[in-house]
Amino acid sequence: MARSSVQDEVLEIVSTVIEKDKGDIPLDAHLIQDVGADSMMALEILAALEKKYRIAIPEEKLKEMATVNKIIQMVEAAKKRGK
Amino acid sequence: MKNSFESEDIKKLIPQRYPFLMIDRVLEASPEKVVAIKNVTASEQFFKGHFPGQPIMPGVLIIEAMAQAGIILYKQKFPNDKVLFLVSVKSRFSKPIIPGDQMVITVEPIKMIVKMGIVRVVMTVQEHKVAEAEIAFGSQDAKSA
Repeated sequence: MARSSVQDEVLEIVSTVIEKDKGDIPLDAHLIQDVGADSMMALEILAALEKKYRIAIPEEKLKEMATVNKIIQMVEAAKKRGK
Repeated sequence: MKNSFESEDIKKLIPQRYPFLMIDRVLEASPEKVVAIKNVTASEQFFKGHFPGQPIMPGVLIIEAMAQAGIILYKQKFPNDKVLFLVSVKSRFSKPIIPGDQMVITVEPIKMIVKMGIVRVVMTVQEHKVAEAEIAFGSQDAKSA
């Protein structure tokens, strides 16, 4: 339940930043290599996640944000840490 | 102690020059916050055509001023990074800027890392908010890879 809502929200953020339909962003596709994002967009996604979930994501994590699924895992881990 | 400085020191931080240098003075500068001012005068070139008989500062130039203040903020954290390019802008303007206005531009970081930054900017005239924006900028290689 919680899982799917985070998934929807993350996908929404990614889709808004990289300006692609959610349907064109497979959860396991590499956002830079396969979906056409760039590292600037990755930073924008990171900033949007921090704002939405009120979490702090260290910039070293940028490299780990390669796919939507990895971003979801990262957000869930950060939310747990925050509680 | 506020770190304030004027045009010759501003020129060391941003590459823009007349007629495109949009910051006259920096009142406060740290990696957490920059407050800068731009005095808008009746003799600005763009007022001749924007618009004849009704001078209003073009919104794109307001964004340029905000972005230049953003670069000054970025340079407080990364003094040696090279030219940065505009990547994205989300902005809202609430009141026109006219000759005689002093724009006070306050910039704070949303996220700033090597070669990239996203900043939040609020612009006031006589303590009234006239514009706000979220501006992202980065080096050319950050934008293309």
